[in-house]
Amino acid sequence: MSVLRQTQPIRPIAPRRHLRPVTTKVQPVASRARTTRVEASSFRSALPAHILKKLVIGFAAVGILSLIVNALCDTAVYRISSLKIETAALATKTQIIGQQVDSLRSPQNLSNSAKSLGMIVNSNPVFLNVREAKVLGSAIPASVTATSGVSTNLIANAAMTVRSDMSNFGKKTVSSIDAPSLNAKTVPSVKTTNLEGSKVALNSVGIPATPTN
Amino acid sequence: MHSSQTDKRYVVFTSIVLAILAIFIYRLVWVQVIDAAQINQISKDARQATRTIDAIRGNIIDNDGHILATTVLSWDVNIDPKNAGPVVLKIAGQKVAFSKEEIGQKLADLLRVPKEEILAKMTGTSRYANLKKSVGASTFSKLKELNIPWVYFDLQQKRHYADGAVAGNLIGFVGSDGSALEGIERMMNSCLAGTDGKETYIQGADLIRIPSSVKVIQQVRHGSDVVLSINSDLQYAAQQEMAATVRRLKADWASAIVIEAATGRILAAAEAPSVDPNRPSAVAAQNRSSRIFRSSFEPGSILKPVAAATAVDTGKATPVTQVVAPDKLRMPWGQYINDSEFHAPMKLTLAGVLVQSSNTGLVQLGGKVDSETRYEYMKKFGMGVRSGVNFDGEASGLLTNYKKWDKMTDQTVMFGQGVSLTPIQTAGIYQAIANKGVRLSPVLVEGCVDKSGNMTKTAVDAPVRVISEKTASTTIDMLEKVVEQGPIGRTARIQGYRVGGKTGTAQIAEGSGYGRLHAVSFVGLAPAENPKFIVAVTAFKSRTVSNSLGATPGFVAVMKQVLKTYAVQPSTTKSKKIPTGW
Repeated sequence: MSVLRQTQPIRPIAPRRHLRPVTTKVQPVASRARTTRVEASSFRSALPAHILKKLVIGFAAVGILSLIVNALCDTAVYRISSLKIETAALATKTQIIGQQVDSLRSPQNLSNSAKSLGMIVNSNPVFLNVREAKVLGSAIPASVTATSGVSTNLIANAAMTVRSDMSNFGKKTVSSIDAPSLNAKTVPSVKTTNLEGSKVALNSVGIPATPTN
Repeated sequence: MHSSQTDKRYVVFTSIVLAILAIFIYRLVWVQVIDAAQINQISKDARQATRTIDAIRGNIIDNDGHILATTVLSWDVNIDPKNAGPVVLKIAGQKVAFSKEEIGQKLADLLRVPKEEILAKMTGTSRYANLKKSVGASTFSKLKELNIPWVYFDLQQKRHYADGAVAGNLIGFVGSDGSALEGIERMMNSCLAGTDGKETYIQGADLIRIPSSVKVIQQVRHGSDVVLSINSDLQYAAQQEMAATVRRLKADWASAIVIEAATGRILAAAEAPSVDPNRPSAVAAQNRSSRIFRSSFEPGSILKPVAAATAVDTGKATPVTQVVAPDKLRMPWGQYINDSEFHAPMKLTLAGVLVQSSNTGLVQLGGKVDSETRYEYMKKFGMGVRSGVNFDGEASGLLTNYKKWDKMTDQTVMFGQGVSLTPIQTAGIYQAIANKGVRLSPVLVEGCVDKSGNMTKTAVDAPVRVISEKTASTTIDMLEKVVEQGPIGRTARIQGYRVGGKTGTAQIAEGSGYGRLHAVSFVGLAPAENPKFIVAVTAFKSRTVSNSLGATPGFVAVMKQVLKTYAVQPSTTKSKKIPTGW
């Protein structure tokens, strides 16, 4: 029965659209009203008001939610973009500092610094056996006249951007064992780190590139 | 009637509207369906740009993880001359006006380029002029801080060699376009170079890309790292010694190789003069490559242990086999073989022949072995073929077939004439003796490590048994006598350690004969009771010292450094007693 009631209202509409150009008579108001009533009542019965409300609210919620998500995504994209710019700037700073560290710990700089401190290479190997309290080898003091051991740096390094400044070393009265006051904020260690070189991100973001290139 | 007219108008109006609608629909279908691809393409071409994502070239690392070569950023500094002019810059929070002249001076100071050159480039209607290529991060940072609106930067990759010329001749270098030109950079280019990626993005009218539009269409694959067997600290020390040796001897060049006996790993391959890969053009072209792998020359007496070992291994002689060695030996066909100095005939054993480095004694004892056998032994010692490192442009030396030897060459090859070797081949011979008679393919490149840390090890040739373990031990005993008793050999002694080795003073072929200058060498191993390291030192065309006395100080210094670096404890045993004369 309900199936019939649902399908019936469609039929009166089709002939009306079909017949409209050839008739001049106005459809009786009562007849149209009846048809509309039948339509409305059948729709109401098919989609109860509370479901319709829920649907509308649902669609609205989804719409608003998608808008929010979309806005958040766009914000995030621009945030990522600005972070990339920051990364590029930090990469440049890292590179500058990394190259300074590389320079300070390069064998050329260490050799020159050691020499400026009056240090001499002693290539005579002597070992201490702590367990047996023995000295292995002959302990010979290093000498500037020794045939071996070149103290002055003879190896070129064009990558050295900074050099250790040893001029102030030893001027103050040393009451405790301090790290040498190199001309750098931190004393670089040649052995303790594997964070060698300058790991940099090749990212062009944030750099005004030549428009013609 | 009225109604009919209205209807007609209605029909006409509706028809017009429908017609217009039809046109719109037609156009819509045309634009959206039929011509859509082409229009899309035009639109994309106008807004979409493609950018190459540069693959970062891998690092070259020593055996301790120390980076010898890496990739850093550099920037080309460009300007837009049409807009170049006075600027107002914010300096320390204050707005300061700069005239064109003043800003030109500022740029000149920062870029270290003459002011006139900068000002000339700032003039004209062109939209592009390059002020300087490949400036460092520090300069770039200072320039960027100025925020001059008509200054632009193009990002580039640049190779950075933090230790300068340390291992420079091995590492090689790349050209200004990033192409590998020399050394490991070239030899291992397939490992170091990655594959560039590509990305597309939509850009605005001001050429700024829209962040959300970036789409990677080809993933970038960054280059892998090359791990060397080199110990960079040892390499530096050895290079220092070689630089001092070149100065002292006024030699053309000097080299020192350190090889680990049991593995064949090259721990140092030092040369002087050396090239700083950061600035290769600073040295002459002949100093930019590795002579250790590329230069072959007649090695001279450092080859005598090969003939001695061959004679012992074939049972034709022992360390105590006796011979009378004159200073000049007349051969049956009338030619003479001479020792380097005049001396009365010496009664020597085979060990004594090595101690005195007697040519005449050696050809008598070594000559007991037939030519073919000696030739086969020489081949097994690695002569005449590349070392196995397969270094870029490596030479194979020259060992002609024994069938082509004339009577004199048949004799002279025993003391290192008529055959040519690269320094690495010479060191390889002593590695075989030190490694109980087994020659290993020398290793310079340990392998290629990808970004996940997986290493693809370098393929090496199979080990070659050259002489028996007993012969190797006997040969080392004889080499030890060279250092204990040899007139020059004793200058290679290292206090506290048993050392074996051999001197070599080789004439250098020039034209059809030999030149006045010599290649002086000393190759030694320590500790002799259980050889761990081989050090081979050569000075080419020494001008102040014409014998191995020029090479032994370098050998001692490098070997001491090796023993210290690897904490080799002093010897606790004494050498075998082998008579050197009778």
